[in-house]
Amino acid sequence: MEKERNILDKCAGREPFSVPDGYFAGLTDSIMSSLPQPENDNNAVVVTPWMRLRPYLYMAAAFAGMFFCLKWAAGLNTSNQTDVAQTQETTIYSDEYIDSFLETAMIDDYTLYYSFVDAAN
Amino acid sequence: MAGMMAYDEQRILEMLRDDEVSRRRAFEAIVRNFSEPLYWQIRHMVLSHDDANDILQNTFVKAWTNIESFMGYSRISTWLYRIAVNETLTFLNRQKMTVSIDTGADEQNICDTLESDPYFDGDETEAQLQAAIATLPDKQRLVFNMKYFNEMKYEEMSDILGTSVGALKASFHIAVRKIEDYFNRND
Repeated sequence: MEKERNILDKCAGREPFSVPDGYFAGLTDSIMSSLPQPENDNNAVVVTPWMRLRPYLYMAAAFAGMFFCLKWAAGLNTSNQTDVAQTQETTIYSDEYIDSFLETAMIDDYTLYYSFVDAAN
Repeated sequence: MAGMMAYDEQRILEMLRDDEVSRRRAFEAIVRNFSEPLYWQIRHMVLSHDDANDILQNTFVKAWTNIESFMGYSRISTWLYRIAVNETLTFLNRQKMTVSIDTGADEQNICDTLESDPYFDGDETEAQLQAAIATLPDKQRLVFNMKYFNEMKYEEMSDILGTSVGALKASFHIAVRKIEDYFNRND
């Protein structure tokens, strides 16, 4: 135990580590140069009126585009429906006409069919 | 060196509350005054010069970026040592995780590494002492190094580590006994 105690006494106050030559001489400068620089106001981006307006203009352009697309799609849909209407001849009967016809006529299905055919003609 | 200011803690604290230029000058004085003792404190913990240098740089970068939160409630040295201790312990924890996967470093590895290190001037006994110190738990190693190599007062250690003087004294004596046991076993 005495010997072990002597090892600690022997090594006390001795610095077993060393540093590269001139390390401490340049240490302060090295540390100071590694510190982050403060925000430089000269590098701050200047916001122009155009930059402020730009997002609103982009948004307006997007809405206008969407509006014209929808308008075009709606127009396309209407013109298709017109084509269908033009190619088919239909006759429209009112509900009242059909109801009164069915209530008053004592007719079977065959007669009903012919009645519709006559009415159509 | 032109423009180099003497270290006056009161004056430095005033300058730290001043404009950017004054703050930087004050911080430069702090770096000049504390970089060397902090370096040795870190070096005794991590052993390698390169690692100690990296941790020291990180310590000052962290101190600089948090300078506004330092309101002078403690001494500048205490504040810096606390940052350095935290940085060192974080580094050691990370290193332990890597080393345990890679090599499983033991005392013999430490001796071999130190003997091949160009910045270790100690003899075989001193390399063995470092290996013995490395077997201590981190906090105990910190206390031992602060007292044995840096000859720091227990009161100052207590401020830095937030541990009572009595507990620090006990920790140091346990560390000494463990080191003696280490040499006894390896005799």
